Amino acid sequence: MNDGPLIVQSDKTLLLEIDHERAQDCRKAIAPFAELERSPEHVHTYRLTPLGLWNARAAGHDAEMVVDTLLTYSRYAVPHSLLVDVAETMARYGRLRLEKHPVHGLVMASTDRPVLEEVLRAKKVQGMIGARIGGPDGDTVAVHASERGNLKQALLKLGWPAEDFAGYVDGEAHPIDLDESDWALRDYQRDAADSFWHGGSGVVVLPCGAGKTMVGAAAMAQARATTLILVTNTVSARQWKDELIKRTTLTEDEIGEYSGTVKEIRPVTIATYQVMTTRRKGVYSHLELLDARDWGLVVYDEVHLLPAPIFRMTANLQARRRIGLTATLVREDGREGDVFSLIGPKRYDAPWKDIESQGWIAPADCVEVRVSLPTDERIVYATSEPEERYRLASCTHQKVQVVRDLVAQHAGQPTLVIGQYIDQLDELADKLDAPVIKGETPVKERQRLFEAFRTGEIGMLVVSKVANFSIDLPSAEVAIQVSGSFGSRQEEAQRLGRLLRPKADGKSAHFYTVVSRDTVDADFAQNRQRFLAEQGYAYRIIDAEDLGLSGSTG
Amino acid sequence: MRASLSRALDALTRLELSVLDALVVAGQTPREDVVSIVHAAPDAVEAALDLLIDRGLVWSSVGGWRAVTGVADALGAGPGVSGLRVRSPDFADPSVLEAALAEITPAARALLEHVVDHGGEGTTGSARLTVLPADAATPAEELISRRLLIPRAGGSVVQAPGEVGLAVRGGRTTREPIDDLPTIAVAERSPDLVDRAAAGAAFEAVRRVELLLDHWGTQPPTMLRSGGLGVRDLKLATALLHLDEATTALVVETAHTAGLLGTVANADGNAVWVPSDSFDAWVARPPAERWATLVHAWLDSARLPALVGTRDPAGKTWNALAPELASHAVAEARRATLLALADLPPGAALAAGTGLPSLLDRVSWDRPRRPRSRGDYVAWTLTEAAALGLTGLGAVASYTRALLSDDKPTGLAELMPEPVDHVLIQADLTAVAPGPLESSLARSLQLVADVESRGGATTYRFTPASVRRALDVGWTAAEVHGFLEQVSRTPVPQPLTYLVDDTVRTFGAIRVGHAEAFLRADDESALTELLHHPKAAGLGLRRIAPTVIISTTPIDVLLPRLRDLGAAPVLESADGSVQVSRPDVLRARPPRERRASVRSTRESARIASVVTAIRAGDRAATVRPAATAAPLTPSGALAALREAIEAESTVLVGYVDNQGVSSERVIDPISIEGGSLTAHDHRADDVRAFAVHRITTVRPLASG
Repeated sequence: MNDGPLIVQSDKTLLLEIDHERAQDCRKAIAPFAELERSPEHVHTYRLTPLGLWNARAAGHDAEMVVDTLLTYSRYAVPHSLLVDVAETMARYGRLRLEKHPVHGLVMASTDRPVLEEVLRAKKVQGMIGARIGGPDGDTVAVHASERGNLKQALLKLGWPAEDFAGYVDGEAHPIDLDESDWALRDYQRDAADSFWHGGSGVVVLPCGAGKTMVGAAAMAQARATTLILVTNTVSARQWKDELIKRTTLTEDEIGEYSGTVKEIRPVTIATYQVMTTRRKGVYSHLELLDARDWGLVVYDEVHLLPAPIFRMTANLQARRRIGLTATLVREDGREGDVFSLIGPKRYDAPWKDIESQGWIAPADCVEVRVSLPTDERIVYATSEPEERYRLASCTHQKVQVVRDLVAQHAGQPTLVIGQYIDQLDELADKLDAPVIKGETPVKERQRLFEAFRTGEIGMLVVSKVANFSIDLPSAEVAIQVSGSFGSRQEEAQRLGRLLRPKADGKSAHFYTVVSRDTVDADFAQNRQRFLAEQGYAYRIIDAEDLGLSGSTG
Repeated sequence: MRASLSRALDALTRLELSVLDALVVAGQTPREDVVSIVHAAPDAVEAALDLLIDRGLVWSSVGGWRAVTGVADALGAGPGVSGLRVRSPDFADPSVLEAALAEITPAARALLEHVVDHGGEGTTGSARLTVLPADAATPAEELISRRLLIPRAGGSVVQAPGEVGLAVRGGRTTREPIDDLPTIAVAERSPDLVDRAAAGAAFEAVRRVELLLDHWGTQPPTMLRSGGLGVRDLKLATALLHLDEATTALVVETAHTAGLLGTVANADGNAVWVPSDSFDAWVARPPAERWATLVHAWLDSARLPALVGTRDPAGKTWNALAPELASHAVAEARRATLLALADLPPGAALAAGTGLPSLLDRVSWDRPRRPRSRGDYVAWTLTEAAALGLTGLGAVASYTRALLSDDKPTGLAELMPEPVDHVLIQADLTAVAPGPLESSLARSLQLVADVESRGGATTYRFTPASVRRALDVGWTAAEVHGFLEQVSRTPVPQPLTYLVDDTVRTFGAIRVGHAEAFLRADDESALTELLHHPKAAGLGLRRIAPTVIISTTPIDVLLPRLRDLGAAPVLESADGSVQVSRPDVLRARPPRERRASVRSTRESARIASVVTAIRAGDRAATVRPAATAAPLTPSGALAALREAIEAESTVLVGYVDNQGVSSERVIDPISIEGGSLTAHDHRADDVRAFAVHRITTVRPLASG
């Protein structure tokens, strides 16, 4: 028996005992090919997936190395079928290659004739390929240049992901440098940008608050070319712009915003997903932006939210370098495979807790507060239609008092109250005497309020889901969420992310979730709590009645 | 005699067969001659000859060693046979033959070689049989003249005697040496890694047999009528074990071969597959011993699990555990394959691509007289041995070598994970047992938590449902907390403690019980009075709410007793309305004196109705459809009756009356309403009502 920290299960999960002395080495060794699924306090769970293994192949690891790592660190013997499976899966990547051919342009080549034959016979692929080069027995097939992305997508679905050697256009050169006079790129940010650059295209996974924008800026400084940045919304676009002006040699005139209100095309252009997916008479009216310049780099912010139409557009951008930035590769629509084939394999990944322990993001104290519905509300709840239940349960007035208690406990600390339902938010804003930001709040007003919150002018904000993404509120110390969108794990990550910017005095952040006991609200909360626990954040559950008694928890 | 000879030959290697063949060709031969005519290293030939003598296939006669009679026939044209004819009894000196060979033309030489290589016989054609070497005009005549080919059978055929064949082949029975063992293509593997990979598979195999049989103990799959296991059940097992179908079939078959799986009749009388008695004893033993049981059974088994899921020549899919799924040759092929692998030095493993064909060559050399299907057997053996943990990464594990030589595997126990007595409980409500749990602990934990992932370690997840399951079987909150604290090596996380308490809070909030009757009254004092009435003790009354009492006494007994106690209860129906019932007042029919006149009129009236009934019966009989119809369902009867009403036709119905007597009536249906059919009954010659649910058959009659 080997005293390793790793236990390999036959269902392809890997359990890593993190108190083990070799756990750190092991984590580094398996990180390239295994995907971290859960990282609670004692045992981390990784999973071997085809995508993960192909990511590893793309990064230059081979099956031999994976098998060797598993055998070296495994405490018990490794299931035979799993080893066979790893070898077979990894051997599938790169059997097909996309290459540049001096005469025929883009071609698909293979040294494995049966695989090529199998793929060519697939219906999905047939429309994308041209003539076979070198007669009917040739190992190379011409590919329509416009189908580069679609073909990669189709091949991944067939289980034979192609390796893309066709290279990139350099794009229109434009000088961009990092201006590190009053700040410095963190080591992991530099690593992330470097490994992206060496890989060509791909996705960088970093937790919220770990400075993904910096990684984007560093990638732009590597490319030194015109850049198109796609972000989730206008507020986030402005933040990108401010950050880029602050962190790089770019000036305000070089950066354009392309959104619903402003349509500027400059060497560096920041566009929102929304404007890109706007259709007029069934046609995407802003597609020309993609060809407006000879972009040398395309940056996708929050890849896990990338809408489907943008995937389709991205399929046509395969000749340009692409970097995806995200906190999680988990997509609630399950389109991880599209991210892999269209944007690129994962190039960098660091677990939250590691970055937290390096002090770059604040530790968080997560508490679930359970309130009991009064009898009359319980009866209304019990007899209501299923689709009404969540709203009824999560909008109980009982929560108002709890939120007030919590706010009182953390008096003086910048606090965010986050919710889903506008009525509830309005009521809370009214009772707490705090400004509210919701969908209808104009962008100008939003920015003013966010700015005031950042500077400490306002101590509390009540926000709807518009604040979920990409809005930097580094000063927030306390977040209280009263309702959400049905226990979405992704939303939980985003909301927690609002808090995780490091605090000036190294204090830990407080993250409260107020839920109604014995209702769907509590059921959904369980999903979200599980997510937090899996991310390694210990959480506690307390009853609303005990709130006053137990005193401050911070 | 033939059969035993054939078996003896089957057990010979290619070299041994060649030595035997040489003896057949040469006839009685001294030992040194045998050594000289077999194209192999002298030591090896001597050893082979000794073995043949030992086996009684060769015996010593006056002129030297000779093969047992019948060997030539039994060898036939099989492997190891040189194809030379038997040497003539008075063969010429080899030097003379060599001189003759040296003189012939190349064309004649080529012809002679052709004849020797193709059975040593040829037709003469137009060749003259009596010529002198000098007059020979064709290569054939050249050979005949020098007596290298001998005319036989009246001159129509010529034969090359054994000694000529030997001479053509340079004094040996074969041109190529026959003692170079095919080498097995190998790759390098650290023996340590091999052992670990194999032990992993071994542990998994044992674990899976246990998991599957444990599961089948409670949910047994049905045995097919043909004796196998259904495809669907195999698929379910596949999902349970996280395996592909072929390996699942191997697990099932091995468990069966090892005697751990048997059949028993279930409650419906169908045969089902369940773990046998020996399973319990097997489970109690340490994993290494359990593995040995399985592997011994597999080694000697004649079963062919690899065929499961493929089709037999008739196109029928093979089911696992099907009785016909066996071949007597497979056990030997298994051993031969593993022994050939075990012969490799430690550190050498079968090479990835070329390993299998080379291993097959080697096994064929060891036992040339083996059936055609051996290629499959060898390949299957390799897959199955890897799945069962006899081999790892293409090499035989150290403990398997021991198993193959002296049947006692040693060293496996040390490679298997040791049982652990604790788990790690985490805030995401999972518990990880970092190794196989002690079985009592595992059983308790499986009660409180759901298994999420199995393998060397086990992951459990706590959910409200799993905690409730423990409460259901009588655990208390304190016991659950105590158990968790005892098994967890780390502090129990607060959310889990909260989960347990929260589940306990709602546990049993709704109570369900059995009662024969309930008593409710708005007047609480009336119920109190009743409850405390001295004579009410026997009624089994229990108060469950201020205004509700339940009773274990049935209503028909309870009502009069309550009235006896002075209460004035009324009966409530299921929908809450009050039911009143008057006691039935009994009356008899007045006795009548039957006077003759009355009787005669009554009888004349009856005669008419009897006639009608008989006629109706006749009609029923004459126009009755030939075949008896199958009983209809009520809905089917309704449909048929509605049809008859619409068509205004006459039908013959089967009807079961109040006494359960079934009869046939000829009726004209008129209408159906509320489950009752109104129809004109031909026998009664009157309109009658029939309960539709009592109508068993409806058949149309040809015509009125």
